[in-house]
Amino acid sequence: MSKIMEWVDERLPVTELLKSQATEYPTPKNLNYWWNFGSLALLVLIIMIATGLFLAMHYKADANQSFDVVEHIMRDVNFGWLLRYAHANGASFFFLVVYVHILRGMYYGSYRKPREILWWFGIIIFFMMMGTAFMGYVLPWGQMSYWGAAVITNLMSAIPVIGEELVIWIWGGFSVGDPTLNRFFALHFLLPLVIFGVVILHLWALHAVHSNNPDGIDVHDEKDTLPFHPYYTVKDLYGYGVFMIVFCVFVFYAPNFFLEPDNYIPANPMQTPAHIVPEWYFLPFYAILRSIDFLGSFSKLAGVLAMVGAIMILFILPFLDRSPVRSFRYRPLSRQLFWIFVVDCVVLGWVGYNPADAAIFNGALPLIVVGRTCTAIYFGYFFVLWAITAFDIEKHQPVPKSI
Amino acid sequence: MNCKEVVGFRSVVKRAGRVVRSAAAIMVATATLATVLVSGDVQASSGVAIPPKQPWSFLGVFGQFDQAALKRGAQVAAQSCMACHSIKYIKFDQLRQLGFSELEVKALAEGAGRTKKDAMISSMDPVAAKESFGVVPPDLSLITKARKGYEDYVYGILTGYATESDMALANRVMADGQVTAEEAKEVASALLLDAHHPDKMAESLKRLIGGENFNRYFPGNFFAMPQPLMDGAVAYTDGTENSKVQLSRDVVTFLAWAAEPTQMERKALGIKVILYLVVLTIMLYAVKRRLWAKVH
Repeated sequence: MSKIMEWVDERLPVTELLKSQATEYPTPKNLNYWWNFGSLALLVLIIMIATGLFLAMHYKADANQSFDVVEHIMRDVNFGWLLRYAHANGASFFFLVVYVHILRGMYYGSYRKPREILWWFGIIIFFMMMGTAFMGYVLPWGQMSYWGAAVITNLMSAIPVIGEELVIWIWGGFSVGDPTLNRFFALHFLLPLVIFGVVILHLWALHAVHSNNPDGIDVHDEKDTLPFHPYYTVKDLYGYGVFMIVFCVFVFYAPNFFLEPDNYIPANPMQTPAHIVPEWYFLPFYAILRSIDFLGSFSKLAGVLAMVGAIMILFILPFLDRSPVRSFRYRPLSRQLFWIFVVDCVVLGWVGYNPADAAIFNGALPLIVVGRTCTAIYFGYFFVLWAITAFDIEKHQPVPKSI
Repeated sequence: MNCKEVVGFRSVVKRAGRVVRSAAAIMVATATLATVLVSGDVQASSGVAIPPKQPWSFLGVFGQFDQAALKRGAQVAAQSCMACHSIKYIKFDQLRQLGFSELEVKALAEGAGRTKKDAMISSMDPVAAKESFGVVPPDLSLITKARKGYEDYVYGILTGYATESDMALANRVMADGQVTAEEAKEVASALLLDAHHPDKMAESLKRLIGGENFNRYFPGNFFAMPQPLMDGAVAYTDGTENSKVQLSRDVVTFLAWAAEPTQMERKALGIKVILYLVVLTIMLYAVKRRLWAKVH
């Protein structure tokens, strides 16, 4: 065995790579359980690609057949129900895990110098995940698939000059239809592989600058690190176990929890559902889109810009945060802002879930007002974070010299 | 206790304090949010009556189908629902999984104008259906998964039509052509209509008296389907009382099976998978604890 490895290593240094990048890869010893979510995201990506591959073997993209084919998978394919439910719930869990992963990065300042490129790759992955999830949701060709696709693709028409033409080009016709379904399937198959590629870049960037840690300080002393194996391999595996238990509870006992009942009705271009809602993971952004309704004919374009901007602003976050300290653990003001931001995102999601014309407190407070306020708070987070750090308003607490 | 231990202890206390504080903050935020969400009572465009929850035996981790109810429900579906609705993802032959003999399946299929190898497709022509009802009756294969409220909603629809006493109430209230505030309350509690809008209520009562299909659980209350199940509509052979409520309960049980015939297989596998994962995770945690015990 060792002779074979020697032969290989002379030609391709596999052992050395494994040693330096995996087994002996130095990792800060104080990482808490929030650091498990990166490896969890990789696990879900693998589950999605594996189940998706087998689903693709049985699926047909055809406006007249797709709905029936999904039911054929559910009923006639051996363990087809397991593949489909794991894949459908996997999408929700992917976003859940990635949202925690992003928020962990925001709390502990993982986007700060020298990890900007690492952070950008992460946002690119997130953005591509949204596209992939959106197109995947169209494939069962239920009512929500169809009308969700119609609403979201229609947003492109807000782009000046080329918008209308662009939408027709994306549809492959004058409405969402069979050509749309086919191209979405092709792209839904391709994009996860591109995501996988960017994940490798994300890991490369991580291994170039190494992990941040809860104290947000640079690690100089070797005593502050542990070899990745066995310490973090076992910790990640334990995390995998806990995650899989929760995931399986949903897959086996509440598989339709995240799904809209309307998507079990075949797509019908002649009948608009009473209430079109995107999947939960898009709801905060959907609420931001709808909250810009006060600019007359510019509302649609402004809403789309706000929605895209809500993600794009993450790209400049590394330059907005000017604090000398990375981790919010030692930044009392930033910490409070952070939790306001988190609650704000949840409220935005709730606003996005409800009909646009809804109101609370016996009609005294229209939800659109809540939506606008929360949108302002969302963007306000980035502005205030910049302001309190750029003008030294925040007095940070003493930061430890070493872990 | 040496100095190092004291420091270690302090940092543990500090860390615990931090965890407790952030946990408390999250809990307070969640609680506030939940209060707003629950008490806030979001008002959409129209108030819709929510069908009450029924004690279905097949729900939950250990829930199982009542086999006798499944068989009776299949009979109701074949002899009553299939007059208009198809259940296209189920073949008559598949009903043998529910305990029917080959001869019984054959009889059910022939009763519906099909053979036992056919899917449960209604013999009503969709074009003719559209002409007489204005809509093509929806396929029922997925009906318990395709409506908010699931099984409870379908049961609510089957049992939610206006009864004779409801009709009497409507006639009495509308005798003078209008709905008073006092009457509005009475109608609201009987027909689950919104008491805040007496005008709308009067409109609904007029349509009800006029013979339109009123259902208290259908969003908008009026729709194309006349009351499908009455007391005694289907003759049971196992001695069970064939009341409207019993027929509805049985056919919803059958439709819940038809919506996902693999669901019991799923639940049985789930227990094994999750138990395995729990044992594995406990062991992984033990290994993790042991390895990390050396790290300070």
